[in-house]
Parts: sequence; structure tokens; C-alpha cells
Amino acid sequence: MSAITIVYRLIAAGAVVLVVLELFSQRGWKEKLTAGLVLVPLILRALMIA
Amino acid sequence: MDSRRAPASRHDAGQPAGTPADAPTGTSAGPPRAARANAVLSVAVLGLSLAAVAAVVPQHLAAGRDEAIRKGPGVTAVRRLSEWFPGIRGTSGDTDVYVLDSGRPGATALVLGGTHGNEPAGYLTAIVLVENAAAAEGSVIVIPHANRSSMTHTDYQEASPRLLEFQGASGRRTFRFGSRATNPTDQWPDPDIYVHASSGQQLSGAETRNLNRAYPGRPDGTFTERIAFAITSLVRAERVDLVIDLHEASPEYPVVNAIVAHERAMKVASGAVLNLEFDDITIGLEPSPKNLRGLSHRELGDATGALALLCETSNVSQGRLRGATGARQVIEGTDDKYLRAARLGRLAVPFDERGWPLKQRVGRHAASVGAILASYTSANPGRPVSLRGLPSYADLMARGLEPFL
Repeated sequence: MSAITIVYRLIAAGAVVLVVLELFSQRGWKEKLTAGLVLVPLILRALMIA
Repeated sequence: MDSRRAPASRHDAGQPAGTPADAPTGTSAGPPRAARANAVLSVAVLGLSLAAVAAVVPQHLAAGRDEAIRKGPGVTAVRRLSEWFPGIRGTSGDTDVYVLDSGRPGATALVLGGTHGNEPAGYLTAIVLVENAAAAEGSVIVIPHANRSSMTHTDYQEASPRLLEFQGASGRRTFRFGSRATNPTDQWPDPDIYVHASSGQQLSGAETRNLNRAYPGRPDGTFTERIAFAITSLVRAERVDLVIDLHEASPEYPVVNAIVAHERAMKVASGAVLNLEFDDITIGLEPSPKNLRGLSHRELGDATGALALLCETSNVSQGRLRGATGARQVIEGTDDKYLRAARLGRLAVPFDERGWPLKQRVGRHAASVGAILASYTSANPGRPVSLRGLPSYADLMARGLEPFL
């Protein structure tokens, strides 16, 4: 795995953590759902699946 | 009530206007009911997100697995491309290399399928060859998925089918439909401009992942250049006499239904074209352009002792004029938009309601391989190379691909 790929995956994983924290801190169900939708591609990118 | 009074509790301080003073914060002795509901909802949404990710994973894992290629009676060895260049070992660029050795002296030919994963006639011809044919003289090396990484994904926004399915003679067979280029998860980011290493030629950035712009490759180059280097190393180490790279192109592309040949291979290619024409297979002959670098017919011809040729068939699923895209279009080769384009005289090949079905495209490639080997043997009688058991064009047209899968 190249250095740039490692950096990319760390950034994606960091974004996943931030969005999960946001998901738990939000009160409205719409905001939670939005965070959940944002999470899907972020996790896929962190895993380099899609 | 005086709105300027001091906060009644610490919950009031810093709360935006309209926020109930008793809104739950989770700091009291036990979590309030609203906070618990909030946590449950958060966990449920997180679960849904993870379920969506999990739904994609099996498809991703399946894409990374090699599809079953059954060793035919003529396969004498199955090796890995990394044996010729360990730098690709353990990567999705490493791939199976099938050796069909007659045990009799003669020349060595290399047949490449799957240089581009979205050109199924190329890799299916190689698979039909591996599963049905045997070398009668000399030896034939076959790589069905020259760029295996390109089989693990499809082109962005092209609506490509993922799979091609056949009810073959040996059961249900499923073959992947891939992309023109290496999977970006194996090689990224793309540069704005791709500079071909040995010539300095500049191309569009996405071409950096195109195996057929990466030859002769570099051992310390990009992922795609390393695959190209592995193939070049195989050609050198095995003293390959003849390289046949099987491709497809869209019907409006000028070089289609043609053999492209390096200048040293023109005599062999001319003989093959004549042989094919005698069998009523109309095919063009194109010289390999000297100023278009990185292609197999140019670089393998220049950098090795092999005669390098490339064969093209007509595939509507690659074209920009096509209509609805899917596995049926790939297999049947028909398209009403291309029919209209043909009536307007916009295509490089004849096109009618019959289209260019996959069985015909594989038939043309199989016939081309046979004709090229025959022409080489005719020109070099001391170094013969030939195949037996390879389905003929007439067989494939009459019976389809299924009996040979």
C-alpha cells in the first residue's frame, strides 16, 4: 500500500469517526439519518471497497 | 415575567432561545428518557449504515476472486505471471498463465486476452482456447486476463453489466465484465497528464491505468507499468516468437475488424489476412503507428524479438452511440442506435439487425489466432506452431459459444 493510500484511508477513517460523533450528538431524526447516509460511502472509501 | 432574570438553573445558561430549560443532557443521576431514545435512534441509524456497507462487501469480494477457467486437455502447466516478475506477486495484477506445450520443437506464441476487461471477446477467446485447444506444434502461452485488476471493477457511469452468463456444456458459466483500465483502488491518483516513460509521449491522465499504453513497462513504475513489465519479461524469458493481443473496439472506431501489426510482423499478418479472406472473414490490416507509443504491437515489437500483432472486433457495448447498456447487448451485439448510425453511414463496419454477436466476435478472434499461427508457420517452416481443437469460426457461428464453455 502506497503512502498516499495510507494517508487517504486515514483521512477517510477520521471522517467516519467525526460523522459517527455527529450522528450521536444530533437530536433530530432527520439529521441522524443524514449522518447515517453520509457514513455509507465514507466507510466504503475507508475500506477501499467502492 | 422579566426575561432578564438570572438563569433558574445551569441548564438555562447558554441554551438558545426556545430551548426547554429541562432538556435532557444526560448529566443527571440516570439518563432521561429522551436521551435514551436519542441513543437508541443513533445506534439504529448506525446499524442501518453498517448493514448497507455489509450488503456491498460480498459483491466486492466476489469481484476480487478469479472466475473458474477449466484446464483443457492441452494445458501442460499453469503458472503465475509473477514468476517472470516477482514485483507483482500478491497483487491483483498477478494472473494465471496457461502453457499449451506440444512437446515438439517449434515456435512459441503468446495470446493475450483481457488487456481491457470491457472487451469480452478478447478474454473469452483466450478462455475457449485454454479449455478446448492443444498445441500441435511448438507451444502456445495464454494469459486470459492480462490486466486482472481491470476485471475487478467497471467503468464509472457507463452502466456496464457486472456479469455475462452462459449455459455452457460444462454447466452454468459466469464471466465478469470489467473495465478498460486498472482498478483505481490498485493505482491512484491519476495524473492530469500521463507521460509514457520510455518515449515521453503525453496522453490523457486516465490512460496511466491502461495496460495497452504502458508497454514495455518498468519494474519500479506504476502498478500498470509493472504488469506490462511482467508481460515483457515473459516474452523475453520464454523467447516468444509471436504475440497476439486480442481486443475489441466500438463500431465507429476506424481500426475495427482488423489486425494491427508491427512492421516486422507485416508479412505474417498479410498472410493471415489472406487466409481469413479465403474463409470469407473480411478483415483489415493496419500497420502499427510508430508515433503511438505504449501499445503492445509497438513496444513488444520494438523491445523484444517477438512479432507483435493485435486483433480488433466490433463491440457495440463500448461505443458512444449505444442505447440501453446491458449483458444482452454485449452478448447479442445488437443496438438500434447503431443501426440508425449505420443507415447514416457513420460506422467503420457493416451493421444490420444481426449486429455483431459475441459468438461471431470470438469466432473472428479464434480464426485470426489460427490464421496468424498458420501464416507464421508458412513463413518459418523450421519453427512451426499450431493448435488443434480450437473451435472454427463456422462452428461458433452455427453452435454459439455455449458448447465450448
